[in-house]
Amino acid sequence: MSHQISGLRAWMLQRLSALYLAGYTLWATVFFLLNPIPDHAAWHALWTQPAMAIGATLLFVALLVHAWVGMRDVILDYVRWPLLRLALLALLWTWLLVLAVWLVRVLIGVM
Amino acid sequence: MKFLVYRYNPETDAAPYMQPFELHAVRPGMMLRDALLELKAAQDEGLTFRHSCGEGVCGSDGLNVNGRNVLACVTPLAELREPVTVRPLPKLPVIRDLVVDLSQFYHHYRAVKPYLIAHDPEPEVERLQTPEQRAELDGLYECILCACCSTACPSFWWNPEQFRGPAALLQAWRFLADSRDHATSERLEELDGPYRLFRCHTIMNCVEVCPKGLNPTRAIGRIKALMLRHQV
Repeated sequence: MSHQISGLRAWMLQRLSALYLAGYTLWATVFFLLNPIPDHAAWHALWTQPAMAIGATLLFVALLVHAWVGMRDVILDYVRWPLLRLALLALLWTWLLVLAVWLVRVLIGVM
Repeated sequence: MKFLVYRYNPETDAAPYMQPFELHAVRPGMMLRDALLELKAAQDEGLTFRHSCGEGVCGSDGLNVNGRNVLACVTPLAELREPVTVRPLPKLPVIRDLVVDLSQFYHHYRAVKPYLIAHDPEPEVERLQTPEQRAELDGLYECILCACCSTACPSFWWNPEQFRGPAALLQAWRFLADSRDHATSERLEELDGPYRLFRCHTIMNCVEVCPKGLNPTRAIGRIKALMLRHQV
């Protein structure tokens, strides 16, 4: 984690991802209220459209980024022992990496 | 009027304790500092606390009173609930009774280089500002470094070695906002990274307790915005 990414950029990424998550949630709520999905085939067809696929991929990337900055902040604030702090940050990175790999598998499977 | 005062002499006491005091001669308009001086004079000469100007200018008598950081000299007794619980500023090492070691606080203050850095040759008379440029410094230069804000800040409690704290960051912005200062990039670079500036989560305890009515949270927000403009 470089000095550059950990300060201003992390703060900015947290805000940008929050904006996207909030916007997407709002849009998705309205979209699915106005366009109820009748069955699995329609659901599957919906996510194979490029715009929907890209939007959803960005959603999960934003979620991972947002979770990284948020959890990192909690660890930096509350964990006092440097070694435990380092271990928890490593655990966080590993867990987010696992989720990212899982996400790629799911997205490839669907799209 | 009843008081509970934090006492600790590291040379003789195994642990800190709260000592009850009672002040009978409460005069109208009396401030907490006056009460502490009377308690010290009449009841316990050993009671130790810092104070100087007595009018909220020097910033020496920052104390935690009934759970809130205040300047004792501008805190009227009439506004305090009894028993008045007087403690040293939170989370700093206690030297004795109400006197804390402010070394770390000053270390952060020094680290933001709280002075003008100008690279151009010194002008013959003085470095001039327009009235608008001068107005940018209002609400910043008035800080008296009493440490009420930084010691009320949870982020400062959690990372006292790394987070600069609201007082130092207010001063950082005071010089970033100064039209005569030329060290913007160096100052911003020094503040980047996860700790020095970005531990601030806009909790705003600093704004709540500042006895001079200043707003370190807004200054911190402006530093972040300037940092962003500098990057893009």
